[in-house]
Amino acid sequence: MSNITLQSIQSPIASTWCPGCGNFGIIGAMKQAFVQLGIPEEDLVIIYGVGCSGNMADFNRVYGFHSLHGRAIPNAIGVKLANHKLKVIVIAGEGDTYGEGLNHLLAAARGNHDITVLVHNNQTYSLTTGQSSPTTMKGTNTKSTPDGLVEEPLNPLTMAISAHAGFVARGYAGNMAQLINLVKEAIQHDGFSLLDVLQPCPTFNKINTYQWFQQRVYDLDKKNYQPSDKKLAWETAQEEEKIPTGVFYKDISKVSYHKHLSQLDKKTLLEQRSGEVSLKKPLKAFV
Amino acid sequence: MSDMTEAKNWNWKIAGQAGEGVMVASKMVAKLAKRHGLSAFNYLEYPSLIKGGHQTGQVCFSKEPIFSQIRSLDILIAFGQASFTEHAEEITEKTLVIYNSNAGELNEDLVKQCKGKIINLPLNEFARKTAKTKLATNMVAFGITVAAFGFDQQAALSMVEEEFSSKGEEIVKKNHLAFTAGFEAFLEQESPISSFSVDSKDNQVLMTGNEAVGLGAVAGGLQYYSAYPMTPASAAMHFLADQQKNYPLVVKHVEDEIAAINQALGASYAGVRSMTGTAGGGFALMVEGLSLSGVTELPVVILYGQRPGPATGLPTWTSQADLQFVLRAGHGEFQRIVLSPGTIEEHYLFTKQAFDLAEKYQVPVFIISDKYALESHQTFTKPEETAEVGKLSFVEEKDLKSDNSFRRYSLTNTKDGVSLRSVPGQEHGLYISNSYEHDAFGYATEDATLTIKQTDKRASKYNGILEEIPKPILLGKKDADVTFICWGSTVNVLKDVVSQTDKANVIHLPCVWPFPVKEFTELAKKAKSLVMVEGNATGQAEQLIRQETGITMNDNLRRYDGRPFYAEDIIDWLEQ
Repeated sequence: MSNITLQSIQSPIASTWCPGCGNFGIIGAMKQAFVQLGIPEEDLVIIYGVGCSGNMADFNRVYGFHSLHGRAIPNAIGVKLANHKLKVIVIAGEGDTYGEGLNHLLAAARGNHDITVLVHNNQTYSLTTGQSSPTTMKGTNTKSTPDGLVEEPLNPLTMAISAHAGFVARGYAGNMAQLINLVKEAIQHDGFSLLDVLQPCPTFNKINTYQWFQQRVYDLDKKNYQPSDKKLAWETAQEEEKIPTGVFYKDISKVSYHKHLSQLDKKTLLEQRSGEVSLKKPLKAFV
Repeated sequence: MSDMTEAKNWNWKIAGQAGEGVMVASKMVAKLAKRHGLSAFNYLEYPSLIKGGHQTGQVCFSKEPIFSQIRSLDILIAFGQASFTEHAEEITEKTLVIYNSNAGELNEDLVKQCKGKIINLPLNEFARKTAKTKLATNMVAFGITVAAFGFDQQAALSMVEEEFSSKGEEIVKKNHLAFTAGFEAFLEQESPISSFSVDSKDNQVLMTGNEAVGLGAVAGGLQYYSAYPMTPASAAMHFLADQQKNYPLVVKHVEDEIAAINQALGASYAGVRSMTGTAGGGFALMVEGLSLSGVTELPVVILYGQRPGPATGLPTWTSQADLQFVLRAGHGEFQRIVLSPGTIEEHYLFTKQAFDLAEKYQVPVFIISDKYALESHQTFTKPEETAEVGKLSFVEEKDLKSDNSFRRYSLTNTKDGVSLRSVPGQEHGLYISNSYEHDAFGYATEDATLTIKQTDKRASKYNGILEEIPKPILLGKKDADVTFICWGSTVNVLKDVVSQTDKANVIHLPCVWPFPVKEFTELAKKAKSLVMVEGNATGQAEQLIRQETGITMNDNLRRYDGRPFYAEDIIDWLEQ
């Protein structure tokens, strides 16, 4: 058993992200968080969606699962329920999580599955070269909306809160120090956690740039904010002029899904895998 | 009476509205027949609604093995007038029709047209007087049935107790009274048409295809079942959900079928045996996940319950029209196994085997069935109480070297295209399970040579798989004028055909993919005339056989009205 180090988690594959991509900040913060938490390398599983964020699958040396677009969350739940001793993290973009796979996000939050969903939210579809995403601002001209986007952007934070998520946070790829702590806190939270990370896309998003974010983001921690207050979280998550970052909502009283299952009380499913099965009990009903 | 008990088989039907307990009574009759040492088949028909409509339970039982339903009835219990119009052609001169006179006086024309003997009995009134509720009408009917066939009364009373014991003593008592009212009322008017004694050596079980799949899954080491309800596969989920109390098993009713297959793949990645189950519409949503199983080489078992489509189709009826869909589903090319069990016993055996095949070859394995088999009860010899579960195609700890050289998708260290896999939690086994084409470690690649090598590696599983799948079976005499070919549940009807005539024999395909070309060709070339029997309009298995072997049929029988084949119709066809 050896804990993750910055060297051990480095894969032989070089990054393919554009210079200035917000993903560099996010991957850096993630690695620091894993190292600081002292996670054994074999006990971490990362499930990746498909998009620029998911391409991180090749840059990390971990137990990984590079899934389908939109489907990382159900894969993650399957992994967690099969072996709940693992730390299970989902890395996916906002198109993946809030568009294609939204149903899974809501179900995972409602079920309080003990997984961390880290969303790379750059308000654009980048790997497919610049179309609108579920969080693109209304009116934005993109390749798929040349006359301006008609839809209003989705608010992932209020949506997660209303779906009973027990941990809802927002980070910013340009604030590593804060992001490391948010990743750590999200992983350590016992239950479902959503960490939405705002990130500029220097190639395809010319509106929400580093400069744009720098003028707007602020840290909730510097405001004596109380994340246990759900009503306050709901209100704060709707602020638009300035963009709050940090932990919006946290409920430590919630019980994780797998802890409701008595068959997982003592051992994981994997640990209970057996070479022999007795059919005596179910057969009684058929004689 | 004695000459009547010489009859080869007995056929009983109960007809009423949804919510009148028709299905419960029907299952109980089948199980009671089993306890008298008889072979039984229980076929249910019902519309897609909860209350009202017309539904039937139909039990055929015999001293000889019996596998399907029969049309001409010995006894029909009719809760309402609809039964006369719906089942007129099933009523013969020998049929006793017990009519629930509380449903109103029978239309004179209906009485005149009815070939059988009608016995009017106030079934609802009996239920109300004894059990204080109309809901016990089905137990009145059960009492009548037990009296009419001369089944053991005590055995029947025990069965009523078993059925209702979970609802408390009071309910059991009420249903006993309702049963007795029916039992006595019949004997006041009629004599039993047969007589049976309880078989103390009964070693059979009675279950549906869904239950057999569920039991086979448990026997095959299933630990994770994720699914979304859809007829006709929902009952497999119900059975397994109930088994969570007996096994280290998690059953997850998920948000949609996409989640169902993807959760199953997640669990599989983490090292436990997993499964999902659905029907056509649900499987359509799973197709991308199927492809994911193919490229990641993660085992998964899929129960596919066919019902008539397109789209929502006829939700509660049967069909064999999704064979080509299952064979072709999924973008890209990858290996799959499609098992097509026929009898309920095969549903048990093949589901158990499906888990070994999936794990050994790291491929998706289908159990393709249909409403007819999944929701019908059939008797078969009780399976062994202990089942072995192998641990296949996993790398051993000692082979995971500390230099982290483990190659999950190794191209050199393989047997039949299978490379061993590690699971999270194992030291030095780190790898990526990748939806992208990948190298030996799982890292994505777009390299042309590597793409060919990994594709070929996966394709080379075919030969090993072909050795292990269940092979075509010849049923009946070796030499016959006509050889019927069938796959899946149709064999049940054809078994009952060949037990009644020497004119035909049957080749049953218990596995349709990979196609057992050699074994099938050997059997087929001995046939004088090949006739394909399948439940679809376009001859999907017929096309498959031609594609794989070049063999063409001399004729075919196709049915695509949601109803199963009947042995009587096929025998009539042979006679002509």
